[in-house]
Amino acid sequence: MTNDFEVEFIEPGERSARFLVRGVSPAVANGIRRAMVADVPTFSIDTVRFVENSSVMFDEMIGLRLGLVPLSTPIGDFEEGDVVTLALDVEGPATAYSGDLESADAMVQPADENIPIIELKDGQHLEFEADAVLDSGKSHAKHQGGVSVGYRHLQRVEVAGDAGEFEEQEPNILRGVIEEAAAEHADADADATDGDLVATDAFDNDLTNRYPGKEVEVHDVPDAFVFHVETDGSFSVEELVLRAAETLGDRAAELESKVAI
Amino acid sequence: MSYKCSRCKRDVELDEYGGVRCPYCGHRVLLKERAPEIKDVPVE
Amino acid sequence: MMIPVRCFTCGNVIGEHWDEFKRRAREGDEDPGKVLDELGVERHCCRRMMVSHKDLVDVVAPYQ
Repeated sequence: MTNDFEVEFIEPGERSARFLVRGVSPAVANGIRRAMVADVPTFSIDTVRFVENSSVMFDEMIGLRLGLVPLSTPIGDFEEGDVVTLALDVEGPATAYSGDLESADAMVQPADENIPIIELKDGQHLEFEADAVLDSGKSHAKHQGGVSVGYRHLQRVEVAGDAGEFEEQEPNILRGVIEEAAAEHADADADATDGDLVATDAFDNDLTNRYPGKEVEVHDVPDAFVFHVETDGSFSVEELVLRAAETLGDRAAELESKVAI
Repeated sequence: MSYKCSRCKRDVELDEYGGVRCPYCGHRVLLKERAPEIKDVPVE
Repeated sequence: MMIPVRCFTCGNVIGEHWDEFKRRAREGDEDPGKVLDELGVERHCCRRMMVSHKDLVDVVAPYQ
């Protein structure tokens, strides 16, 4: 298999994006999805040393919340197992936010700064030092870089004929992205052309809105998948996909070298 | 072990022979204080 | 007690938006659905995290 993938972004975005990949078999598409979820390492707080905690929550509860805070993870500079220390010292009355975490490494910072950790009342004090470890989603879900990663077949919509004139038209619900094959019948969009990629939310997921009074047929386009990828903020969608493809490649290379021996 | 009397809020050293009782005010409810050491907590 | 950091179901970070949601929809009189749309909390699993949350820190604070 030496064919190239054809990638086209439908909804580009930093943390959430949709893109179409053509020429990819279902096995490879699922491999990339799984690599995005389980194989791309991210930083996450793993141990916490509490110096003082007089808040209303137990140490373990605060530790659990800290583990879920996404930390920015730069490419290339770290290896799995690397540790970065973060510290926090907040005295009440105040709320300790994720943005109050002070990192020893400027490249590893909380990706979101407004996550409340704990509300402190008058006289309460929270002080700790925490170790963030670079690890993959395989070992713990808090290390997952991609959240709600999935894909669907690209669907091709063709007009098969007219609907009966006095027939009551039932909603024809379809979700995902369609490849337009009957642009002349597209009602909502005047400058639609054949081959256009249209997200179904553009016509409220109902094909009867886009092709009123028409009988339509929907087919899956073979080997074309529309990925929907969101990240937790540790890195951009683009980086996540590239790193996932890289880990997949690394594993294939490892298999190749092991088989050769 | 350091305790604190829940009525007079004074620090109390618990004496095993004297029973559980605050030596200052005689109150029988003592609260255990958090240990001053740094506590290591693994995040699971 | 405090708003969960992430959505239980999908793992999306929702704690980030809590303060604004609370200010606009709980203390303010804006429509919660519209506020969530503007905050980008789209899925119903994430939306229920915000809509059904109750802060309990004030309730337990006296019993320290």
